[in-house]
Amino acid sequence: MEFRVDFWFRIVMDSVWYVVNFLFFWVLFRHTSVLGEWNYDQSLVFLGGVFVSDALHMTIFSNNMWWLPILINKGDLDFYLVRPVSSLFFVSLREFAANSFVNLLMAAGVMGWALVRYPGPLGPGSLALFAACLLVGVVLHFLLHLMFLLPAFWMHTSHGLREVYFSMTETMTRPAGIFSGWILRLLVTVLPFAVIVSFPTRALFAGNPWPVVLHLGAVTAAAFLAALAMWRAGVRSYASASS
Amino acid sequence: MRGGLLRDLLTAEIRRRMSYRADFWISAVSSLAVRLAVAWFIVKAVFEGSGRPVVGGYDATQMFFYYVAVILVGKLVQSTDLEQSVSQDIYEGGLTRYLLYPVPYGLVKYVQQLGAMGPAAVQIAVFAAWIPLAFGWPQGLTPGGAAMGIAAIAMANLLHFLMTFPIQLVSFWADNVWSLMVMHRFASALLGGMLAPLALFSDSTRLVLEALPFRYLFAFPVESMLGRLSPAQWAVGMLVGLGWCGVMSILGRVVWRRGTFQYTGVGI
Repeated sequence: MEFRVDFWFRIVMDSVWYVVNFLFFWVLFRHTSVLGEWNYDQSLVFLGGVFVSDALHMTIFSNNMWWLPILINKGDLDFYLVRPVSSLFFVSLREFAANSFVNLLMAAGVMGWALVRYPGPLGPGSLALFAACLLVGVVLHFLLHLMFLLPAFWMHTSHGLREVYFSMTETMTRPAGIFSGWILRLLVTVLPFAVIVSFPTRALFAGNPWPVVLHLGAVTAAAFLAALAMWRAGVRSYASASS
Repeated sequence: MRGGLLRDLLTAEIRRRMSYRADFWISAVSSLAVRLAVAWFIVKAVFEGSGRPVVGGYDATQMFFYYVAVILVGKLVQSTDLEQSVSQDIYEGGLTRYLLYPVPYGLVKYVQQLGAMGPAAVQIAVFAAWIPLAFGWPQGLTPGGAAMGIAAIAMANLLHFLMTFPIQLVSFWADNVWSLMVMHRFASALLGGMLAPLALFSDSTRLVLEALPFRYLFAFPVESMLGRLSPAQWAVGMLVGLGWCGVMSILGRVVWRRGTFQYTGVGI
């Protein structure tokens, strides 16, 4: 609450992002009844999932991820490496974004509205699975973000591959069903951005959600192991301020 | 003296931009590749879902070329706005030295932005040269249309600067204007036709959008370039766009005058 105007600006900024995305889908659905695999009602649930996933990421991880390459580049990571807790855990979770928490409430409201207005039956089991998968998707989002920043250990820049990560996140905000061919295979395996929200939404609407749930779990586990290996390799090559 | 100073500022900014070449190309190529891929699949999904050969006056190929053009034009128009050098000058007190320059601050910043755009223009030329090889020659692109498009891009770049300049000047009063700039970017992407061609909106919405300045940032230059506007429509559009440049310029002057009254030279 130290910077009150900025606090409210950021809340309004995220609200504008919600409205823009909502209108974008609305404009597209003026001309089509299906986008990828989903109709308008299903796409609204997906969009609600995108908002919640993004708000959780912004609240818990985003500020910490912003500072990580700077800590590496300036040598300030030293202060975290000497503490008696996991340094990766500490640098990933030390800061909580209160303004994004307000947006999280709004995003949850939008998703709740999309679910309530959905005309088909949605059982409590499906909804619980959707919520659980969405949380796994948030973890996957964090791991991908981390892996795009960790090259700062070797690249001598203060932002790693942050711009590439920001570009890739656009694929997360569009239904995975629109992609096909080798790009789809890439986006659900090696760079699984299309899995983060689309797969939880698929789990909600699919007759048999378990293949989707297993896929989501497998790519998240693989991303966790890869991020951990990168972090350890990075810390080994870290030379304080000269990194 | 003024001309020499402006030329030096322009070349200094180009040199500064090119000093991180690997980053510059990695960011540009990845951003372009992802946005083109998403655009391609969005267009494909909309046309497959609609089952119609023409949507909003575009066939699938024309709409894809619209997206290709708007992505490239957007890079030229937006240039480096998110780096927010104006607000940084105000926060850090760096504005003081510019107040001593023999040219207006806004002009200095615009010239620096043009300098920053130089390397981006080279990138866009490289990408644009590759587009016909990969996807064929864009329908409707003629030398006359290209000339109208280039003039419209120049106007759009100026308009974008003049729209973001007063937003950045809010730094005289607020601790952080980054979020305002991002808000402007989100709104202009939708209302300016970067997310979807404006022809996909309803007729009544389109009338409103044509009166707002956002259309003249992206959709108008692209429509000019792809031959979707007659010379008369282009001329009217240029007049409206330049009119908005005038309005934003006045707004910028007012905000600048009020802001500098309270500027102390030590940042905020």
